[in-house]
Amino acid sequence: MLNKLLFKNQDRKQLIIAMIGAFMGITFLITSIHYLIKVNEFGEGADILGPNTIMVQKKVSNSSSLNLTRTDFSLKELEKIKSEPFILDVKPVVSNNFDVSFETADPLVPRFRSDVFIQTVDPKFLDVKNPLWKWNKNDTVVPIIMPREFLVMLNTFMSASGIPQVSDDLAMDINFKFTLSNEDNSKKEWVDARIIGFTNEVSSILVPESFMAYGNDNFSDGTEQKITQVMISGKESEFGRVEELLEARGLESKNAQMVVGRLKSMVGTLFLVVLGISVIAVFVSGLVLIQYMQLLMTRNAYEVRTLLRIGYPPKEIIQKFFIYFVKIFGIIALMGIAIFFIFKYFLDEMFASGGLYIDTGITFGSIGTLIFAYIIFTFASYQTAKKGIFREY
Amino acid sequence: MQIILNNVLPTPLASIQHGPQSIWGNHIELNSGKKIMLNASSGKGKSTFTTVTIGLRNDYDGTILYDDRDISTFSPEEWANIRQRKVSVVFQDLQLFPKLTVQENLLLKNSLTDTYSEMELIQQLEALEIDNKWKQHCGILSMGQQQRVAIVRALAQPYEWLIMDEPFSHLDKENTERCLNLIHQRTVDQGAGFVLTTLGEDHGYTFDQELKL
Repeated sequence: MLNKLLFKNQDRKQLIIAMIGAFMGITFLITSIHYLIKVNEFGEGADILGPNTIMVQKKVSNSSSLNLTRTDFSLKELEKIKSEPFILDVKPVVSNNFDVSFETADPLVPRFRSDVFIQTVDPKFLDVKNPLWKWNKNDTVVPIIMPREFLVMLNTFMSASGIPQVSDDLAMDINFKFTLSNEDNSKKEWVDARIIGFTNEVSSILVPESFMAYGNDNFSDGTEQKITQVMISGKESEFGRVEELLEARGLESKNAQMVVGRLKSMVGTLFLVVLGISVIAVFVSGLVLIQYMQLLMTRNAYEVRTLLRIGYPPKEIIQKFFIYFVKIFGIIALMGIAIFFIFKYFLDEMFASGGLYIDTGITFGSIGTLIFAYIIFTFASYQTAKKGIFREY
Repeated sequence: MQIILNNVLPTPLASIQHGPQSIWGNHIELNSGKKIMLNASSGKGKSTFTTVTIGLRNDYDGTILYDDRDISTFSPEEWANIRQRKVSVVFQDLQLFPKLTVQENLLLKNSLTDTYSEMELIQQLEALEIDNKWKQHCGILSMGQQQRVAIVRALAQPYEWLIMDEPFSHLDKENTERCLNLIHQRTVDQGAGFVLTTLGEDHGYTFDQELKL
């Protein structure tokens, strides 16, 4: 009877409009959160998302060729770059300060030898995450990360020599050898090397930091090692500002890295926009329902006041409004989930037809977000009901 | 339950001069089981007395005590319990639900304490000659019929005090007499008391006490 008194004579049209608004918001929220998570998972595997990492060096100009300007970085400059709010980290790329040659040392592979220069960077900047990339003085083999361009170059050499080309896995089975020597060749050492991964980030052979320190300690002529390249990690969605910094400081990077950086930045920004719209959508949908609740309570002000006057406890009336709206939101949430599954079926089909095989499982994140939204709405509706009832008290 | 008004002066009536016999600004005791008439002309604060005494407004100076307890300290839940079981009211504006039927209006109140069966409620309506309105919406009843429904509703709970604010203003002499008989019987059965505000008419009833404003 209390339900009849409080809810039967309401304006159904307004309730339906409020429900449609909330339903649309909820459906958009679940769908967008689900695909944000799925695309994020897909993007992480393909290195689409995450911080922008680029290797930069100073632009070489005519004046720097004439030694009028410096092409190396001072520690102060690195600190300055690192202090920018959109920069996550800056680390120097350390190069060899001694002579190194690299050759194949495998009877199954034709001999190939070249003077090379090697570098080392902090592993966190690399797309290769391999726990084997470490070395200490007693180790007989140095793990190395090769630039993918090197494998391409090697295969070109193999092809031109009429020798079968090698795959990534095969290249990682080949034994290589480094020859370390000082400037006058009076001191030499041979160290075996093995490829453990390929990178697109750097164009030189990468060795563990400890191996580089060993070589520089034992074979360098004692001159100070200059920092000519640095790795910069910028915030995902603020690559434009990183680019501005590079321009302002006369720095340059590989074009491909810049393009990837822009794309990553754009994807990151789009993610934030979609996420923002989703949050606004669910906030507005909740607000629409809460406003309708307030309207209903205002229209029922006389009934509420009279019920209180004839002895109905405020808690009981609050509970009536609260449960009524929690049920309505429950219906909306269930409808939203149902429509989400229909959307999901068509969107998964659409992705698959475009060659993007995104995992089609349900994301707990989207369901969790819905539950979170439900809890927030439940709390808001209880507070609204309480406030509305006590206003009439 | 004893009700004491201790120097109570509602803010809207503060500018009016109240005599030594007035309930406003003086010490007044409403003792348990008494049948009291509160007699005053319009605008003297009869409805204010009702609303202030049952805690619907608190814009007054002084204190009102229920059995030595200041009513301004009661929580909303305590008030709900008092209005369900200790103090019942017939409001001047009746406070019925016009979109509900007579049956629904009475059951809505009765369900709080399960005081009567439906049959007993119909019998009370019958005693007031409106039992044929049981299924009709209150909004379409005449004021006199609505007053009688409001009286039956007020009786559909246990109480120690029944406060009635001009409950017979739209009733003829015969219907007033019927209502007073019903109210008297129910009040006496419970050992309760009542306060009836009027414009000077005693309706042929012998009151234990008369208060003035």
